[in-house]
Amino acid sequence: MKNPIDYFLNSKVGWLADTHGSDIPVSSRIRLARNLTGVPFPIAADNSQLTTVCEAVKSAAEKLQCPGKKPLLFEPKTMDPVDRQVLLERRLASNDFIQREAGTLLLVSRDESSSIMVNEEDHLRIQVMNPGFEFDRTWSSLSEMEDRLKQQLDFAWDDRLGYLTSCPTNVGTGMRASVMLHLPALVLTNRIGAAIQGISRLSYEARGFFGEGTENTGNLFQISNRSTLGETEEQIISQLSAVVRQLINHEKHFRMHLLEQDHDLLADYVGRAYGTLRYAHVLPTSEALNSLSALRLGVAMNMFNALEMHTVNELLLIIHPAHLQKFEGRDLDETERDVLRADLVREKLKNIEKN
Amino acid sequence: MLCHLCNKNPATIHIQEFVNGEKKTLHICAQCAASKALGDSAINPFNLAELIYNISEKMQFHDSAQDNSDGEESGPLKDISAIVCKNCGWTVEKMRENAGRLGCAECYKAFSDLIKPSLEKLHRGTMHVGKKPGNERSGSPQQMLEMLRLQKELQELVMREEYEMAADIRDKIHKLKEEMEKND
Repeated sequence: MKNPIDYFLNSKVGWLADTHGSDIPVSSRIRLARNLTGVPFPIAADNSQLTTVCEAVKSAAEKLQCPGKKPLLFEPKTMDPVDRQVLLERRLASNDFIQREAGTLLLVSRDESSSIMVNEEDHLRIQVMNPGFEFDRTWSSLSEMEDRLKQQLDFAWDDRLGYLTSCPTNVGTGMRASVMLHLPALVLTNRIGAAIQGISRLSYEARGFFGEGTENTGNLFQISNRSTLGETEEQIISQLSAVVRQLINHEKHFRMHLLEQDHDLLADYVGRAYGTLRYAHVLPTSEALNSLSALRLGVAMNMFNALEMHTVNELLLIIHPAHLQKFEGRDLDETERDVLRADLVREKLKNIEKN
Repeated sequence: MLCHLCNKNPATIHIQEFVNGEKKTLHICAQCAASKALGDSAINPFNLAELIYNISEKMQFHDSAQDNSDGEESGPLKDISAIVCKNCGWTVEKMRENAGRLGCAECYKAFSDLIKPSLEKLHRGTMHVGKKPGNERSGSPQQMLEMLRLQKELQELVMREEYEMAADIRDKIHKLKEEMEKND
């Protein structure tokens, strides 16, 4: 059978699509955690119980044509490590999930916007992801997807605590909503620390690009709710939206500040990144991400004539190790990757002149 | 007394912690306290396992204190660490090893004394009010989000005493409410 990973590699990643309006929010994602009644949570389940869950979700998904028509199925344990890593880099699965040796299953809609991880921390992690700041549409499709799934599946439930999850941090709605924000001006002007502290005091969280425990490479921050109990999904979403809007305005304010008060700093930051990307021959992932982040800021502030946002967005994905190896068609060691990454970036940016 | 962390400034803040069942007191200065608070909230990820463990320690402490004050023989001390979930065999120690995760849905009942106080710290409420297994809600998710936006707008307009605009919003809310009930 043809490798279903190739299906994704030949199509543009949905959540990085070009958005109209602000470039600060990159993508919005909401997920629901659900467990089946009568089966221990994945952490305490044996292999046959994990298989039972996979089979139940698979058959429900087939009946319901969910997520999306003819969803793509992935079994991490049968996949090679690079293919697994592609799922992580496209944000369809968590690191923890792709490392698991058995009893896991991933279902993805063909447009990559919705997916179900089976037997991650909970039996089901149902997620919908869209480009930009798009909670309304994202929550509507996710809620509808969950409504459909519960026609076929019985979810563990308590009248007082709501949906029961493996970790009490998710109990109740089982919902985590997040927006990925690009905040280079707040980082450059040293405002980000205070902003993140403020957010965590309001019981929201700021995480790195790939979620829990990852670094904030490329000035990308995922802002999400922490509390999942005591408020409706819509209340959580609208309060989180208010926080996100404030952060976006904060970033806009400091972009203007850089433009008007600290132009040398801005021009130097973007210019150096441009120099690195145009002329480097050895380019590690983190340096590439940070430089592309600066370039992205430059594009947003009209510092380049011929450079489109989608070129930068595309690069932000394909410079990751697994994508690089898939495009090259073979396994590469780190040194080889750094050289090829530099080649790829130089090629993509060769006709771009800075204003 | 000098600060236990920097040994330079006088200690003005005294923190009591229960570590492995022992009561420990930390005497520190305001400066070190500020950087400790920063480290706790912003840099370290939220540690549920330790929170639950600390609560279990405090509960044992609390129970024994109660026994003394009542002066009653209320049987042996309640030993949280001995609770086992009958359905999946989960224990407090397992919760701790697995970052606070539970083994099955029944664990919520078995460990409810322990989970309840941690839920209060983790979440904004203690009672679920969101989606339910049956489709019992009136209105679509989009309508509910719209309702919240309108209600907030109304609140702000009333606060700014812009009553004419507030009345418009109020009408919109009524209309939306009717639509939501119709769909039901």
